[in-house]
Amino acid sequence: MRKTMNQWLSEILVLVMIFMSVSCKKENPNNLTSELLPLEGNPLVQLKILLKVGSANDPSGKEGLAQLTFSLLANGGTKTMTYKDIAKAFYPMAASVSVQVDKEMSAFSGTIHRDNLGKYYAIFKEMLLNPGFREDDFNRLKTDQLNFLEKTLINNMDEQFGKEILSLMLYNGHPYHHTPAGTVETVNNITLGEVKAFYKDQVVQGNITIGLAGGYPADFPAKVMADFSALPQTFTPRLSLPAQSMPQGLQFIIADKQTPATAISMGFPVSINRSSDDFFALWIAGAHFGEHRQHVSLLFQKIREERGQNYGDYAYIEHFIQGRDKFPATNYCRQQQYFSIWIRPLANSNRHFVIRQALRELRKLVDEGISEERFELVRTYLLNYTKLYAQTLDERLGWQMDSHYFGYKDFLAEVQLRLPKLGREDVNRAIKKYLNFDNVYIAVITQDGGSLKKALVENAPSPITYTNPNMDKAVLEEDQVIQNYPLQINPENMKVIPAAEFFKKPGIPAENPY
Amino acid sequence: MLKLIPIALSLLLLLAVPHPLQSSDVFPYSYKIEELENGLKIISIPLPNPSIISYYTIVRSGSRNEVEPGKSGFAHFFEHIMFKGTKKVPRAAYDDFLTRLGAGTNGFTTDDYTCYFVVFAGRENLEKVVETESDRFINLYYDEEMLKTEAPVIEGEYYASVSNPGRKLAEILRDTAFEKHSYKHTTLGYLKDILDMPNQFEYSQLYKKRFYAPDNSILLVAGDFDHNQLMEFVRKYYSPWERSNYTLVTPEEPAQAEAKRVHYQWPSPTLPRLAVAFHGPAYSDENSDKPALDLLAKIAFSPSSSLYQKLVIEEQKCLTLYASFDDKRDPSLLTFTSIIKKDEDLPYVEEEIFKELERLKTEPVPAEPLAEVKSNLKYSLADELGTTDGVAGALAFYINLTGDPGTLNKLYGLYEKVTPADIQAMAKKYFVKSSSTVATLSGGKAQ
Repeated sequence: MRKTMNQWLSEILVLVMIFMSVSCKKENPNNLTSELLPLEGNPLVQLKILLKVGSANDPSGKEGLAQLTFSLLANGGTKTMTYKDIAKAFYPMAASVSVQVDKEMSAFSGTIHRDNLGKYYAIFKEMLLNPGFREDDFNRLKTDQLNFLEKTLINNMDEQFGKEILSLMLYNGHPYHHTPAGTVETVNNITLGEVKAFYKDQVVQGNITIGLAGGYPADFPAKVMADFSALPQTFTPRLSLPAQSMPQGLQFIIADKQTPATAISMGFPVSINRSSDDFFALWIAGAHFGEHRQHVSLLFQKIREERGQNYGDYAYIEHFIQGRDKFPATNYCRQQQYFSIWIRPLANSNRHFVIRQALRELRKLVDEGISEERFELVRTYLLNYTKLYAQTLDERLGWQMDSHYFGYKDFLAEVQLRLPKLGREDVNRAIKKYLNFDNVYIAVITQDGGSLKKALVENAPSPITYTNPNMDKAVLEEDQVIQNYPLQINPENMKVIPAAEFFKKPGIPAENPY
Repeated sequence: MLKLIPIALSLLLLLAVPHPLQSSDVFPYSYKIEELENGLKIISIPLPNPSIISYYTIVRSGSRNEVEPGKSGFAHFFEHIMFKGTKKVPRAAYDDFLTRLGAGTNGFTTDDYTCYFVVFAGRENLEKVVETESDRFINLYYDEEMLKTEAPVIEGEYYASVSNPGRKLAEILRDTAFEKHSYKHTTLGYLKDILDMPNQFEYSQLYKKRFYAPDNSILLVAGDFDHNQLMEFVRKYYSPWERSNYTLVTPEEPAQAEAKRVHYQWPSPTLPRLAVAFHGPAYSDENSDKPALDLLAKIAFSPSSSLYQKLVIEEQKCLTLYASFDDKRDPSLLTFTSIIKKDEDLPYVEEEIFKELERLKTEPVPAEPLAEVKSNLKYSLADELGTTDGVAGALAFYINLTGDPGTLNKLYGLYEKVTPADIQAMAKKYFVKSSSTVATLSGGKAQ
């Protein structure tokens, strides 16, 4: 069928708009940007407001401000509706607004049935554009944030506690240094006026990407863009970060508390992120060594499968948050990244052995690299597994937004292009270039930390016993090597700190606060 | 500025739902049910979702089946054993196959069932998945040494949540509320039984023979495949699987004669927790007791309820407040749980919960919140069914209860018929003080 003149003109107009939008994006950082994923006929609509600011933008002495501000938007009232009103209005729609805050990126998300899009969006936009900033909402959320820091993080979630201590060690004196929730002292210092000022400075057009996916009406994106254009036309420059500091030798922090199980996290900065050409090779190395909750992980095989030490053992070449199922969550992009090993809780009696085992495996990885067989297996795995990453509307939008953050049109499509071109030697070169085993930060949550310190410093043998009297001979022989594997530790690089001392104020607590 | 992602690309992976929500059926996809001669039921849901297939094996055995003393946690332990491979496809080969496939794969155990799933891309891989999965269910092979090595992993899993007071509260609540029924223990089991798992090789063989059989299992496949081709593969590979013909008898829980109370002192500072529970009915898609109670729970304890708004938002006494009336095969607990901000408010929150339950006995709920809850249930389900895996995961739960995916539509049909009078009657019937158990947990001093 021939096109009419009007059809031709319409298509030209769309092309011009797309060209202008791409051009504008490059030329004017003060403007809103958007990601659209229209799916006609889909009953759901996904809204996502991505903010290119996070806890690293907290002013000094106000650590926790971004988290408190954005929590107040997502869990507080608007100028015209109280939070109670919003809860009542959202309930029949099965709706909510979720918020996540990381170091340099934050996101507000909501999924809604298209039947309710109009009603939902009317409230959603008011929450972000005209927040109520009520004193009672502020007090409620500030108390919750303080309770998380004072009680929950230290006493109820040892694995996360270990990861946060590792982060403190990695980023001491760096804008990434504090957990997004902040510290008890600094959150106590935050006023409602400071929250309002932070909102005014940071929730601005140039910091925002609007994401829409699903079965929304054709005119909906223009309406959302027009509404959010009411925000100030400015932006926050991307943070200029100092160089990351490598650990000097094996540096330990042992958080001492009463517990039957020991949680361990260890790591060090890496100088690349997802935008680097070397990322893909290093990614294969990371998946080989410790793919998250998959049998292909070497650490999982050695520590859990062969020895039954704990529930799992993983490694990552960038900051990792688990999303749906075991897939990586999106919208946690950072300019600077780190390599880490996560040893899940295990009996206190075996902690010394497993620290040795993990560091020895890391050494073997750096010294020996990946075999051709494993390289081919892990590459095939990643090529297929990543096809499952983006299934929900939220995942589709999230991956698309993260792709652009790192300079890709579509990162998951890039994976399909790049991985087949890599060879084993590329992976081994990346391992040598970015990983090491001598300089590692190690965070341990355990009981009687003093005895662990003594055993580590003295390099005392650390044999373990098994309930299976007929363990595989090769495993037992390797155990003999592991239990005597020497670790070069300077006692001054090892601090034992009572767990209750963490997160009171910024930085690493003193070893003996009493 | 608008940036358009190519529409052709955007259509990939996402589902089109063929029926509007006002249809009487809340589960909007057509499905087929077939049964092999050995009793294995197959439920197939072909979906217009390019490439992805969710392959679920549901074994209708969970911690409910742990009726013998000393065997708590065994269903979960056996889930781990199921990954040990066969003589034909040993563990390493099984792992290699799934790794190359890039499958999202795992298992999980609940009170009533154990579920194994393989989510993968490419219908060309379907036959190999059917062959490999059937092989491990029919020909699982492990020796005593393998069992002894796996057993401490369960201890490690126990340790992974040992710092979570929520788990401890659930443990003491169940242990106190139940006298006889196997819902008395959690899915992980008692620590003493976990520590004895290395010595349970013989029992593990008996457990497999009893419960890992086609007449106790259901295959659920959703996504991009052809039904007839699926059935061809299933008949080819699953037909040799032999029936068990075992009938489980779960102990009948005696009626609770008097109110119970239990407290746990957490060794370090933590927010106090409260659980108030009553004995309730089993799941049913024919009797409206449980559906009426489901609606009651949401009307009285959801974020839009007056009690939630008072305790969480206005007075700011509670961090969380919610009701959990899980659907179970046997009579289970109706539980109201709260994390409270100060120890001294524990009695107040408990009193407010009991007051609200008394009010539900004397005052019929208004029509408006009842309609809002029914609306919430439908839209929540629509959200859950947004992907192939969402469809399979949601259906797996309901299939475990009755063996029939139609139960979902029947249940929502019952929801529609529930009236304020029904809810009031259920409150009177089930929220009897002598049937209650209150569990509390509070924190200690900083170490």
